[in-house]
Parts: sequence; structure tokens; C-alpha cells
Amino acid sequence: MSTKVEKIVEFEIHRFDPETKRRYVSTYKVPIRKGMTLLDALMYIRDNLDGTLAFRSSCRMGICGSCGIQVNGKPMLACYTQVLHLNADKLVIEPLQNFPVIKDLVVDIEPFFGTYERIKSVLIKPEEELKKSVEFIQLPKDLKKIWDLALCTKCGICYSSCPAAIDERFLGPSTLTTNYRFIIDTRDEGAEERLKVTADNIWLCTSCNSCTLFCPKEVDASSSVVEERSLIVETGNIPRTVMDVLTSVMRYHNPMGRYPTKRMEWAEGLNIKTYPNVNKADVLYFVCCLTAYDTRHQEIAKSMVSLFNRLGIDFAVLGNEEWCCGDHILRLGEKGLFEELAEHNVSMFKKFEANKIVTLSPHCYDAFKNQKPYSDIGLNVQHYTQLLADAIEKGKLAPSKPINKKVTYHDPCFLGKRNGIFEEPRKILESIKGLELVEMKRNRENSFCCGGGAGRVWTEDAPVEKRPCVNRVKEALDLGVEVIATACPFCVSTLEDATKVLDVENKIVVKDIAELVKEVL
Amino acid sequence: MEKFTHDIVIVGAGIAGLRAAIAAAEASKEINVAVISKIYPVRSHSVCAQGGTAAVLREGDSYDLHAWDTVKGADFLADQDVVEFFVRRAPQEIINLEHWGCPWSRTEDGKINQRPFGGHSFPRACFAADMTGFHEMHTLYGKAKTLENITFYDEWFVTSLLVEDNTAVGLTAIELKTGKLQAFKAKAIVMATGGYQRIYQFTTFSHTATGDGMTIAYRAGAPLKDMEFVQFHPTGLVPPGVLITEGARGEGGYLLNAKGERFMKRYAPEKMELAPRDIIARAEQTEINEGRAFQGPYGPYIALDLRHLGEEKINERLPLIRDVAIKLAGVDPVEEPIPIRPAAHYAMGGIHVNIKTESPIAGLYAAGECSCISVHGANRLGTNSTADCLVFGAVSGEEAAKYALSKSFREIPKDKVLEEEKRIFDGILGKEGDEKVPAIRDEMRKIMNDKVWIFRTGEELQEALKEIRKLRKRFENIRVEDKGGAFNMGLIEVLQLDFTLELAEVTVVSALARTESRGAHYRLDYPKRDDKNWLKHTLAYYTREGPRLEYIPVTITKWTPTERKY
Repeated sequence: MSTKVEKIVEFEIHRFDPETKRRYVSTYKVPIRKGMTLLDALMYIRDNLDGTLAFRSSCRMGICGSCGIQVNGKPMLACYTQVLHLNADKLVIEPLQNFPVIKDLVVDIEPFFGTYERIKSVLIKPEEELKKSVEFIQLPKDLKKIWDLALCTKCGICYSSCPAAIDERFLGPSTLTTNYRFIIDTRDEGAEERLKVTADNIWLCTSCNSCTLFCPKEVDASSSVVEERSLIVETGNIPRTVMDVLTSVMRYHNPMGRYPTKRMEWAEGLNIKTYPNVNKADVLYFVCCLTAYDTRHQEIAKSMVSLFNRLGIDFAVLGNEEWCCGDHILRLGEKGLFEELAEHNVSMFKKFEANKIVTLSPHCYDAFKNQKPYSDIGLNVQHYTQLLADAIEKGKLAPSKPINKKVTYHDPCFLGKRNGIFEEPRKILESIKGLELVEMKRNRENSFCCGGGAGRVWTEDAPVEKRPCVNRVKEALDLGVEVIATACPFCVSTLEDATKVLDVENKIVVKDIAELVKEVL
Repeated sequence: MEKFTHDIVIVGAGIAGLRAAIAAAEASKEINVAVISKIYPVRSHSVCAQGGTAAVLREGDSYDLHAWDTVKGADFLADQDVVEFFVRRAPQEIINLEHWGCPWSRTEDGKINQRPFGGHSFPRACFAADMTGFHEMHTLYGKAKTLENITFYDEWFVTSLLVEDNTAVGLTAIELKTGKLQAFKAKAIVMATGGYQRIYQFTTFSHTATGDGMTIAYRAGAPLKDMEFVQFHPTGLVPPGVLITEGARGEGGYLLNAKGERFMKRYAPEKMELAPRDIIARAEQTEINEGRAFQGPYGPYIALDLRHLGEEKINERLPLIRDVAIKLAGVDPVEEPIPIRPAAHYAMGGIHVNIKTESPIAGLYAAGECSCISVHGANRLGTNSTADCLVFGAVSGEEAAKYALSKSFREIPKDKVLEEEKRIFDGILGKEGDEKVPAIRDEMRKIMNDKVWIFRTGEELQEALKEIRKLRKRFENIRVEDKGGAFNMGLIEVLQLDFTLELAEVTVVSALARTESRGAHYRLDYPKRDDKNWLKHTLAYYTREGPRLEYIPVTITKWTPTERKY
């Protein structure tokens, strides 16, 4: 097979020699022809350039799950990716994360397969049923429910990108999905037993969506976890910490259990238009529970007010009628409660005739944009970073004071991974004079979750080393930055906690972009 | 050198190996089973099986009909007693998998659905869309993991069998993670290591399908049977060779030449695209040889046209091959025909075993593609191989369990283990030769592709034999670049190349001797089937000078050989 060489691509391969325990990098130039996959390229290297390179492979058709690797920070199957489709002249190839490396690109995947030992991947039925010599009936529509979830090849890519999997109590996206696939299999009678296995660890998932995003078979593990949780919520067998969050929201419409009547305390003296005193404005500013109630976060809420004012935007807030958007509640599996919250907010949006909503939190943003019933009414919703980036680009907002610091940006999952908003926050930061923006290795789509999603911001009980936020702050510390900028109240909260438990508050601070912009105006 | 002891050691963790493990473990809780595999079980090539698994389940079908289709498909080289046993046991295996959770595709009323397949005169292919092997594997793996008397040795590479007084007593294996050679003591050993089509250039097979178990058993004294019979699958995706399921034709797909003609009308007017694989592969190769194929950047190809099936049906029944065609060939079957040509796909031959899966070495069993029992004779029907793996995987597990319960352990011969250590670490790893794997491997594959393909001649087979032997000579001077221990893939590639070279030679020698055309073995110089002289199985025995051939008769129970027409 000799089609012409389309281009030469440089492969920078991050290697590990188990004999000397040495980590090193080898660089190879590979002639790429049409149709060549990453696996073909690795084979080319081993055959022609370096016979010592170790990697796994088998089926070369994306079904055996052997060849997961990290390519430019993104996990993928080498055999199922065409080199030319990556549109790159240089590729950085690394072993999958979250696993110990055995040699070069070969990782010890045992911890991943070990999680399968903790569930039963076989139908649970009474003995006498299993002795029958005819098949159990399953209608095509019922098969359809499990089919997509049964496509998991156990390649371990989801596990490699999972922030919760750094804690070995967690079963991991793949195993939880397989567990769920059996629970909803109409032939299975073991739901109770299966839910018990997950009930104490499933709450570690932060709904960051990496598993779903990177799955070569497009298995939606992230949603399966949520569905599985909702079944556990139905049984009532949930940890105290989760119960507290749900109860608070049920009673007070905010997860922190604060009185709704105190929701506007942060805005005292700011003279903000507030429903029902005002029932129309160009922009409805949706504040978010955490920012409204938490003293530290109120600074962010206030910063945003200054920015609105500076831009001359006519805005208002819902005041005590702003209820939790429900995102965390939905991800914790309490669908009924989420609907209640959403219906209230939707009715308020309608009464207010909200033409445009600006949210501080990416979680509110995602809920309004993508979750029913919010999404049914076609809301015009913006995350504040979109608004600011646009204003800066149009010259309506010009940061004047400098920040002479090295700053990194942490992508909030609900802004980035779930909604593709990667560049706006960076544009804002880059517009600040003196600010040197440096990227963490795991950025944009490959960003590592802070660990705050799906209610975990309130339920965190992992040992310090196993908290995603600690892992993330360490990454930022390694970069030598003084500021971690982000654009989500929950990221601010978890990352700031991590700086405290690591006792590095004097070295590194966490700031919301709204705060940084306010500082420089 | 550590020693590991298990009543039964199963080598290979594909469908046959996992099924054997389950059967052995369920036979008695007292039995301690080990499954050794050079890759994690769910990475086995069985996950690539797509189209279905044959079994008689419905009214209108019958055991006799399935058996007859199989025997006729086999061009009468199958052992009919084995075939009769096989068709009767297959349905239970489908039900077993169903009860363990396999997501079989369903009929409207919720029963297991079945689709038509080549050479079968009834739609009896049970399927899970076009990922049948994948789902069977994950189901078996899930089931096997629930049995406490099975221990998995994942990523252990078996190098040799330990045989004393014609009795298998253990084996040697390298633990890839550490690179150390270890000895296993066992009462019974089941080989379930799959096929060896990686001896060819253009193949549907995984990189890891290198016939390890066949060579290991052969060198230990077990004969290899019917190795001249290599199945060429009519639809290997161009360029990579990856399988495009026969189910695509089962669902109604057409094969077209460059003139847009459904050329099968000239070769099998009745069955058309659903004739057995040997016939279609020859038809395609003829179209190619006679200049009626399409010409593309990767050589000539035939078009597999599914467009008339419509997007909905393709998504429901053939989702994997749609994805594979898009990802690996840049072709969406909903929009345009898939470029294909015949690809080396399956070994009808393998370790000689009887109806109980026993090899001539006591305590050594074999099941699945690495064995030859013989259900498939000279040409296997599609969907009969996963069924074979399930049925005879189970039989091998049961038989090995019976055997193990009645025997006691024997000491493993230390000298042989040390000899094996020396052969690998001093003889191969330590040697400073100047030959490299890629050169010899690629040369072997080219020879097999050019001279031991669909149409064969004595002259070309002679040349191939000479060239393969030259390569074996060169192999003695092989060099492993990587001198390390852990995950030394260079060393593994050398060991695999060694295994495949051996099998390439046996294949050529067996093909050269068989001066007739039968099933997948077609000799241009002997184009007719010759029942008078060749209605017999080839047995190849290992000698230092190369394979020594013997022949044994075919078992005929009900069906006298007749002319094979479709």
C-alpha cells in the first residue's frame, strides 16, 4: 500500500523506563499517508525508528479497547484516529492519566478492571428462572434502553480522565454505567443489590462530563451516573451530607439552608432593581445561591454589579424569588425537586418577561440553556464572561490598571466541557495589562475538574490528597502562578479550600474573573 | 522461577477460552481454574466477530438442516458426527448467553432475532446488531468474573507446553509486567488461543492473532490438522483489511464490480451474495484478476453497496461497520458503497482434537479456532465459528474438568523449564544478531499473500515453501533491540514471529500436498474435487526437518458427498 506521503508529523512520546525508573521524551518524524491511524504511526516508529517503544494494541478497529493514549492532552484510541484528521504537525503522545505507568505508553490498568470485581456483570434472577431453556422475553424498545450503554469496551479512557477516580472508593464511569445497564435491563431482578454497591461512592462523581466527552463509543456514562443516583434517591439510602443538601433546597430553595428572605443581603446599599418592585429590565441578572449567601462569594456578586453599571446596562434581579437553578440537585438525582425549582424560576422568567438572562454561574447557565423545562422556553441566556468578552472586543469596556502577575485560568466544566466556552474567559484575561496568562497542562476540553460539581462542593469527604481541587491547585502551583482565575463560584470555592488545606494561601490566590476585571477598571 | 499450580489451565480468553473456564469452574467447586491470556480477556480477537452465531431455534429450521448446510459448506470434509453434536448443542449456548445478559437483537415480540447468512438455508444467525462477538465476550467475561474458582492471569505470554510421557503436565509463561518466565503446573490444559491469520498481509485479524497455541501444541507433539484450509472473507475493508460483516449481505447488501454489475449472478445464481465465503471470495478474485474491479489508491477493490437498505436499517442492524467504514476508510455506507476485497480471515485447520476436544497428548485439550475438530471441514459457514467456540469451549471445559478430577498432579520437569528460560533469554534476547522482526515478518506476509492466496498452484507453493524456509533460516539470526524485562514488546514480537513462521510453513506444506480443489483450498493445477484420493484430513506432525504429513479418514454419518452447487 503505497499512497503518497502527505506530510511529516513529529511525534513527541513521553516515555518511562521501568528498569531505571527514568522518565524521558523521544521524538520521531513519521511520514504520514492518507488513511494512517495513530496506531499505524506508532507501529511505524517501532518497526523503523525505535524497536524499544512499548504500547498496547490488538483489534485496530476500535472494539477491543487496548490502545488508549493521550494525544495533545486528550485521551483517545490510537487505532480509531486518523493522523491527518488531527491537523497537526506535532503530536505530544503520553500514557493515559490516573494509572501507574508500566513502560512507555503501557499503563497498569489493573485498578480499572479491579472496579469490575465489585459489581455483577451478569443477570441476577432466581435460580429456577435461570434454569429455563427458553429465552427471557425482551422487547426491542427495552433492548434499546440498554444498548448504547452496553457498547462500553472497557478501554479505560473514561477512568483516565475522571477527577473522582483519583479516590479508589469510586467505581468509575465505566463500571457505574455497566451496573446501571443491568439495573435497567428488563430481564434483571437485582436492582436492590446493585444499588447498594454504589450507594456510598457514587456521590463522588462531579458530573464534569469528561467520561462522556472522551468515550470512543459515545457511551453517556455521565448521564448514567445521574440516572443511577436518582434510583438511589428513591430508595432513600443516601449519605447524610447529600440528604442535608436536598433538604435545604427543599425547605429554603438554596442548598446552604439559609433563609430566602436573606437572599438579597449581599446587595444592601447597592440600589439594585429588584422584582417585584421592578418587573422589567434589559437584563435579568441571575446571581446563584452560593454568590448570594456566602460572604466571600458576595464579592463576586458585587463585582458583577459594578461591571453592569460600568457598561450602562439596565439590569435587575429576582430578589427573594430567585430560587436555586437546581443544577446540582438534578445531578444528585433528585429530579422531582429540580423540576419544582425550575418551574418556579421559569414562571418568574415569564412574569418578568426576561429577554436576556446573564448568569454568574456556569451551572445556572447550563441548566437554563440545556435542561428541560428551562430549555423549552428558549431563553436568551449568557454567561457573564461572554458578555464581558463581547464588551471588551467592541471597546465598550477597557481594563486600564495593570495586574503584573502570572495567572492561570481554570476552565469550569459546565462552561467549557459542557458548553464549549473556552476562549471568552481567556480573551478577558489577555486584555488585562501586565497579566501573563499561562496555561496548565490540562486545559480547555482536557481540563481537570475542581471537584465541586453535582453537589460535591457541599458533600466532600475525601482525604485531602484525593480531592480533585487539591490535585488541581498543585498543578497550578507547579506552574509557579500567583493567581488561579476562574469563572464559576463553585470552582472558586473548592480551589480556595484547597489552597487552605495545602496551606499555600500566601503563595496563590483564587479569583473569579469578574473580580479581576472590577479591580482593573 | 516461581511455580503456579492449578487443576486446569486455559490458555486464551476469547469466546472459547472464557466458555471453557466457565464450564470447568461450574463442573465442580473443587476445581481450581486458571485463565492465562497475553492480553486482557476483552481485548481478544473474538470481540471482532460481528455477524452472528448460528443455532436452530425456530420452527421451520431443524438440526438436520443446519448440519447439512454445514457439511455442504465444508465441501464434505467436516466430520459428520461432530457436526451433528455441534448443531444440537448450539441452541443451549445461545440461551446460556441470554440468561447471563447478552443483549441479543430481538423480534417484535421480544424473542431472539435471527438473520440470514451465507450458505445457511434458514435465517438462523442470532445476532447483537453487528457486534455479536463483542457482546458475547463481555457477557462471558462478566459471568466468568462471578465464579470464585477462576483466577485470571492477564498479560501473561505462554511460551511452551511441558509434556512428560505424552501427558501435559504444565506450561511456561512470561509475565509481561515483570518480564519473568514462570512455570505453571496443571492436570489439564485447554488451548483456546484463536487463529493465525497474521501470517498474511491483508487480513481481518487483530495484531495479536498469531497462532501461539497452535505452534506450542505442535512443537509439543500434537499434530495440526487441515492447515491448508484458510478462509478468505469476501469483505475485508480497503485499506486496512478490517472485517465488514457478512451480515451486511445478510441484510440485503450487493456486491458490485466496476461495471456496476451484481457479478455473483455468474457464480452462484441462486444464492447470489449469500453463497458460502469460498465461492464469493473466488468470484471477487476472478473479477479482480480479469480487470473488472474498481481501481483505487490502495489497489483494486469491489464495491459492497448498502445504500438501498436505508439509514435506519443500517443504524439498527449494522452500526459498527458504518462507524468503522467512516473512521477507517472515510466512506459512509449510507452515502456510498464500501470498498472491499477478500481478506485472510479464518483457519479451518488447527490442533487435531476428537469430538471430546482431546488432543493426542493426554490432558491437552483445544477449542475454538486454534483447534480442528472438524466442524468446518474445507470451508466454514459464517456464524458457525462463534457457535463452535461456545459449544466446544464448553465441552473442553467439561472434559478437562472430568479428567482433572480423576488425575493427580505430576511434577513439572525442571530441566525443561530451565531449557526454555535459556532458549528465550540467552538464545533470543541475549543474541546479538542482525535480523529484525519487521523485515522477516513483512516478507512472510507478502509471500503468503502472493503465493498462498485464494488461487494456488504447485509451482507457486513450491516457491513459497523455499522462501519461508529461507526466512526461518534468517530468523535464527534475529535481534531484539529492547534488552529490558518489563513489557518487552520487541521480545514478544519475536516469539510471535517464530510461531507464525512455523504455521506458515505447515500451511504451505499441507497445501502443496493436497492436489485437489476443495472448499477454500483451490489449486489451479488441480481444479476438481477428488473424493477418491482426498476425502481425508491432513495431519502435520512436527519434526526438525519440517512437517511430516499423515492422513486420516473423514467421518461420514448421513450425507454422502455430492457436487456442491449454490
